[in-house]
Amino acid sequence: MTSNHTPAPSHTQGGPRRAGVMTDVHRRFLQLLMTHGVLEEWDVRRLQKHCYRVHDRTAAVEELEDFINNINSVLESLYIEIKKGATEDDGRPVYALVNLATTSVSKMASDFAENELDLFRKALELIIDSETGFASSTNILNLVDQLKGKKMRKKEAEQVLQKFVQNKWLIEKEGEFTLHSRAILEMEQYIRETYPDAVKICNICHSLLIQGQSCETCGIRMHLPCVAKYFQSNSEPRCPHCNDYWPHEIPEVFDPEKEREAATSRATKRSLRSRQH
Amino acid sequence: MSEQSKDVCDPSSAAEASDSEVNSSPGVPGGLSPPASQAAILAGPETPPLGPTDAPLASPPPQAPSEEGDPKALQQASEEGRAHQAPSVAQPGPAPPAPAQLVQKAHELMWYVLVKDQKRMIIWFPDMVKDVIGSYKKWCRSILRRTSLILARVFGLHLRLTSLHTMEFSLVKALEPEELDRVALSNRMPMTGLLLMILSLIYVKGRGARESAVWNVLRILGLRPWKKHSTFGDVRKLITEEFVQQNYLKYQRVPHAEPPEYEFFWGSRASREITKMQIMEFLARVFKKDPQAWPSRYREALEEARALREADPSAHCPRNSVSE
Repeated sequence: MTSNHTPAPSHTQGGPRRAGVMTDVHRRFLQLLMTHGVLEEWDVRRLQKHCYRVHDRTAAVEELEDFINNINSVLESLYIEIKKGATEDDGRPVYALVNLATTSVSKMASDFAENELDLFRKALELIIDSETGFASSTNILNLVDQLKGKKMRKKEAEQVLQKFVQNKWLIEKEGEFTLHSRAILEMEQYIRETYPDAVKICNICHSLLIQGQSCETCGIRMHLPCVAKYFQSNSEPRCPHCNDYWPHEIPEVFDPEKEREAATSRATKRSLRSRQH
Repeated sequence: MSEQSKDVCDPSSAAEASDSEVNSSPGVPGGLSPPASQAAILAGPETPPLGPTDAPLASPPPQAPSEEGDPKALQQASEEGRAHQAPSVAQPGPAPPAPAQLVQKAHELMWYVLVKDQKRMIIWFPDMVKDVIGSYKKWCRSILRRTSLILARVFGLHLRLTSLHTMEFSLVKALEPEELDRVALSNRMPMTGLLLMILSLIYVKGRGARESAVWNVLRILGLRPWKKHSTFGDVRKLITEEFVQQNYLKYQRVPHAEPPEYEFFWGSRASREITKMQIMEFLARVFKKDPQAWPSRYREALEEARALREADPSAHCPRNSVSE
């Protein structure tokens, strides 16, 4: 068996599954990932490099996918994992540490009161049932009388919805709400189990679908980033299921390089009075 | 601890148990119920428990007799969630659960503690019992012990009883050096920036910062007390309630001020987690000046840094970005 002092193996683990070795590099990575809740891929890479720099300068930085798989093999026995997903609107990869054993919205449970949790559940149902993946503020607020627990006024409910946005459970766009990628990552299992009939699935990646495009003939659905990848450089996009002409605009595939260039040029132009601080 | 705790789960002894387990040599620690296969994977070939950081681990010795009403409070709190009164006569208890169930509870508790810490909420022992341990209260010591082990081995975190009096636990980083993480991703944490702004103002003033002064500074960032902000939401609520609740700030009435005015001070948690040198670095970054542009504050920060180094030489971080 491997000695206790070797750093994480840099090769992919083939053969029979065995638990990986945790070093301080992995531990710090996990600590920080947990602290931040959900991170985009370029942040995760920075985080990984930071952890190596702190604990093991001489080692080669392992390929991110292998690094994460290695950690996940240790986490498996704890029923948690580092899960990778993508934002539904522009396909940015995101990562979060999720609890696989969760069978309810219990991660939020410690943060919110009973009526607030119920408000979230109501919003969630509206979002899942909707055609666009968005639920309007008005429709959510109209359900305020049906909430369990202490009576909540609409004004209060508006603020609770904002709390959900700040905590990255919901995203708001022009008065309408949809699920944040974090919520999708953490609650996909719960949602699929709780709403098996209403839930929509992407025809390409077979994951939970909240926002996406659908074929007007046969009704299959695809995530926007899945559409982008599937129809990349295809001048005549056709539905993979019924072969009918795909009637929607094909988005661009997410390019991390382009994104980083845009970000750095924005940063140099930005004045000191940054709203981030 | 007092005798009332015989039949009841006692956070201090549980914490001591968890601490001593972390200190023991690798391999299956004595006293643990036979580990289920999942725990065996962790107990197997792994890196040994973290070295020097284990040393300063002692949980505070029980001081029940000297504290007013404390044993009673402890017993009462740990009786929350129980259907019946705790009898003084030892009952024949329910059969011990299968090891796998205890392991599962330990995993649930691990996640619970991680999430509470992520949200910077207090990890309160009675909450742990009520929300997670539930009917397994009698075995909470072994559950806590296993959870602490997992947290130490997988996350490099110590679950420590920080206050026996309030029965609060906290997750303490067991890896060193500790400060660097802030530098790594600091620009992604706007809340920290906002907090640091206020703490810096208080620090530079050398005394409490009046609420009006704080808003003058926040106005520069485009934050107003009556305006909802896209990232921060209700800013006034955030700084006067949430940060105060988390012990990062103190918000107090200015004595003898008419009409009533309030001022901000550093909270106990800020004093624990944030060093004066970090404030100087923050100021230097934001104002693009050398930290020595605030000479007396910089001197203070240097002194604090030296005092910290002397107190705990192992915690000194050689890669501190501010050279001395």
